[in-house]
Amino acid sequence: MEILFFASIVGYFAATVLQAAGVTLRKDALCRVARIIFALSFVLHTGFTIWRGVAAGRIPLANQFEFASGFAWSAAIMGLVLYARLKQEWVLMASMPVAFLVLSYAAFQPMEIKELMPALRSTWFALHIGSATFSYAAFAISGGLGVHYLLQLKKGHAEKESRMVQTDYMIYRLICLGFLLLTVVILSGAIWAEQAWSRWWSWDPKETWALITWILYAIFLHQRIRMKWQGKRMAWFAIIAVICVLFTFAGVNKLLPGLHSYAV
Amino acid sequence: MKKIIRFLRSMQFGMILLVLVIACSVAGSLIVQQREPMEYVNRYGEGAARVILALQLNDVFSSVYFLVLMAALCLNLTLCSIVRLPRTVKATAQLLSRAESAPVEHELAPQQVEKVSTYLKQNHYRLREKDGRKIYVKNLIGFYGSFFTHLSFLLILVVGALAVVTATVTDQTVMPGETLTLDDDTTITVESFQIEDDTGLLDYASKIVMRSADGMKEAAREIRVNEPMSFEGYKVYQQTYGTAGSVEIHNLVNGASEVMHLTESCFLTLDGVDGLFFQALYPGYVKAEDGTVTLITSTSGAYSDPVYDVLSVAEGSMSPVLAFPGETLTIGDVSFTFLEPTSYPGLRIKHVSTAVLGALYAVFALMVAGLYLCFFMVPTAVAVTENGYTIVSPKPSTGLIIGLNACLEEEET
Repeated sequence: MEILFFASIVGYFAATVLQAAGVTLRKDALCRVARIIFALSFVLHTGFTIWRGVAAGRIPLANQFEFASGFAWSAAIMGLVLYARLKQEWVLMASMPVAFLVLSYAAFQPMEIKELMPALRSTWFALHIGSATFSYAAFAISGGLGVHYLLQLKKGHAEKESRMVQTDYMIYRLICLGFLLLTVVILSGAIWAEQAWSRWWSWDPKETWALITWILYAIFLHQRIRMKWQGKRMAWFAIIAVICVLFTFAGVNKLLPGLHSYAV
Repeated sequence: MKKIIRFLRSMQFGMILLVLVIACSVAGSLIVQQREPMEYVNRYGEGAARVILALQLNDVFSSVYFLVLMAALCLNLTLCSIVRLPRTVKATAQLLSRAESAPVEHELAPQQVEKVSTYLKQNHYRLREKDGRKIYVKNLIGFYGSFFTHLSFLLILVVGALAVVTATVTDQTVMPGETLTLDDDTTITVESFQIEDDTGLLDYASKIVMRSADGMKEAAREIRVNEPMSFEGYKVYQQTYGTAGSVEIHNLVNGASEVMHLTESCFLTLDGVDGLFFQALYPGYVKAEDGTVTLITSTSGAYSDPVYDVLSVAEGSMSPVLAFPGETLTIGDVSFTFLEPTSYPGLRIKHVSTAVLGALYAVFALMVAGLYLCFFMVPTAVAVTENGYTIVSPKPSTGLIIGLNACLEEEET
């Protein structure tokens, strides 16, 4: 069944390339094919995730491979839902490469199915880790949209153009969604930690970096109100903050061992 | 004074504090915490270690400056919450009043106005009419989002600190079959402990029974990681586990016998001279062809072929012995029968106020609700006249404008 996983990567890659080509060359047909491939890849990816969950007898989010796969899946479904609502190509321009890149990262992680260790057998498992995949996906797509926004500016589009305003607004809304979900991640993690280890907060590197990410986005959300950070500044922030998200996601596990080391 | 208070409650001050919290957190995650000074010298060199220790970077999150930072953050949140509350209460009336008097911003033809009204109704806007002006409102509760979020952040810091300060935590190892008596005479009996369940899956489960001091209340439960037991303000956690050697000591003179668990090096003797010196229990061994035995020190948890490493002390001489479960060693008037090792749990016993615990859960829920109201329930009033409409909202109404434009464009098409 791993063929489904690799087929999804190939599909996401093909969709990304075709979408970029379609938008650059202004060929709607290419964009349409890209969307179909993306949706089909998502179906394959969903199939793989279900198979993995059944084979493991649990929600497949217990290690770095499964989390990365869940992260990519969340990015894909967010992209598809947003496209279905907004009918804007730029939404897919951001979510397609995120799904492809994150799933490619997953391919380099150990794939074997392991039994869930006792510390992870909790009712909080699904909420804590499930929210994290969607939160990271929202932040990553907002970063992707930030890149798209800056590229559009470089092409000569003005910040006040309706499409640019929409992109800016979508970056903001995705950051809001990601921030709310990250709050759920941190709070459910605190409750879970109290259930498992008797402590709400241990200043474990993963916890600390989740908090750093949370504060970073909190600062941004305040600056948007106070200093009217929008447009170019918003786009740059969305891109830079994703580096922090990615460090919390992958960097901490590799470089700063702690209580969350089983997530490797 | 007013200026100082204004600064202390300002968003600017809050942002400065948050940046400092980030700086401390980065330092605290990159520099190993709470280690012996020599470890910093070995890891980072003498000069760097001196700086780390002087700046308390070896224990950032308990340092004075970090606690001051947290206190300042609480002050900022308190002041901004106090200021925010009256504003929040007045906000609804102000929004409606602004909507009532605002000039038309988006002029439209009459049929377009109808389209806008229909769109607003379809999107669950409630209609309020005043002086012939239709005002559609939605999400007025959203005004409370920011207040709830800031208040809950403050309460998380305060109640969280209270939960840590008021809790008492003790770690105890209890052998299966033994009873632990706490300071207030509440007892905890460990009936059994198992590392693996019946299917061979790692489980770490302890069956425990708790009794209140007066013996009136009793509860039994199997605890595991993630499944602590709550009883009369206590929470008992399955924290660690260990394996102890077990030996049955038989006094050959009077016939008395007793089973002892050996968790650390000890000398078992009747007369203080002859006896058995227990050194260690090993999980397994490898026997070479020439008969030499190599002890396995693996700590995987399984004791497949346990070996007792002991010294027989008799008549002033010591001789090393490797003993296996089932074997008996007689020294003087005492015989020692080595039994299969016993696995035992390490329990964490926490005494915590259930009120504080409940309050913490409540403020967690308040924060999530506050953020939801803040981001996804943007208070909006749309004043619709026969000439057009005006949107009044404390936040940019980009989403609504996009929706209305799409709706009007649809009509034009």
